[in-house]
Amino acid sequence: MTENEIKKLLREADKTAGGHALVHVNLSAIRRRAGRRNMVILVAPLAAAAVLMVALSILALMFRTTEPTQEQEKIALLETQIKQLQARTDAALGFIHEVLDEERRQSRLNELEAQLASIPDPLEEVQKQVDKTAFILVYQADRLYRELNQTDSAVENYNRVIKLFPENQWAKVARQRLSEIENRKI
Amino acid sequence: MAEIIDDELLVEQFRRGDESAFDKIVERYSAEVAALANRLLGWPGEVEDVAQEIFLAAFLGLKKFRCDCSLKSWLFTITINKCRTCRYKRLLRRRRFPQVTDKSSLSSGFAAQKSPMSTEDHNRIRSAVAALPAKYREPVVLKYLQELGTDEISRILGISKNTLHVRLSRARKRLEPDLAELIER
Repeated sequence: MTENEIKKLLREADKTAGGHALVHVNLSAIRRRAGRRNMVILVAPLAAAAVLMVALSILALMFRTTEPTQEQEKIALLETQIKQLQARTDAALGFIHEVLDEERRQSRLNELEAQLASIPDPLEEVQKQVDKTAFILVYQADRLYRELNQTDSAVENYNRVIKLFPENQWAKVARQRLSEIENRKI
Repeated sequence: MAEIIDDELLVEQFRRGDESAFDKIVERYSAEVAALANRLLGWPGEVEDVAQEIFLAAFLGLKKFRCDCSLKSWLFTITINKCRTCRYKRLLRRRRFPQVTDKSSLSSGFAAQKSPMSTEDHNRIRSAVAALPAKYREPVVLKYLQELGTDEISRILGISKNTLHVRLSRARKRLEPDLAELIER
């Protein structure tokens, strides 16, 4: 069976079937469909973008309506806990401040007391000075009387001691000396 | 050659927005395209829908046509692709609705009186060609019925010449058992 024989048979069959089928191409329909398709090509991305935007908006809204409530609850709880902690911290800090102030005051008081303890008693000092002065006067009077035999000056000094420091022990001594001098005169 | 230049001018006109150029292209090639579609689909007789689809695809793609090949070859390539799609859809339809009779099986007798070939013989040839896989049927149609050159066929089908010769040879071998008896008569 040759190629030409097959070709001949096929051509006969084609001829029998009316190989050249009559066809009417509707050009206006083609233009219309092409326009529609071009429109779809043009609009589809925009529509897809719009749908995407809407979907994203809806998702955003959903997350805004559902999630935030839970988050808000969590935030509120955390805020309350923070406030409580802050109050506790403030109380603790206040207590610490009070304790520190008390300690500071106590230490200052101790310092002052120490300082006060270190300061000598002025009355005692005055008494000491009085004693000292009275002693010096009596001592000088004794020297005048016993070593220099200046009895008048000595009596004057004894009297001065008795006059100036009547309550002092050296006033007693001065009185004893004066009585001794009087007794010797007699 | 003049025809090719003319085609290129029409394509250029269409690119520049003159849609009347497309009308001329349709007028020039609609008969050949319809004939090829008719043959590829197994002589159903009515190929208007397919032709409409082919020229719609051509209308949409003509601006991108780079004139690497002739306009006729380009239109034939579209025709082959559309016919493949059409056959595939027909196959799916048959699988889904097996009891529905296809138009193509009824149309065989419409021109039988014009040729000495009997309806039985014609149906036999149709069945034999239709039974060929697409990769063999398309070269057979383009070579023996459309009478295109080897170069053009290989360009349209996107295969090498050797492959084309191999496929034609295998197609003939497959057709031989069915057609041998007809030739002997």
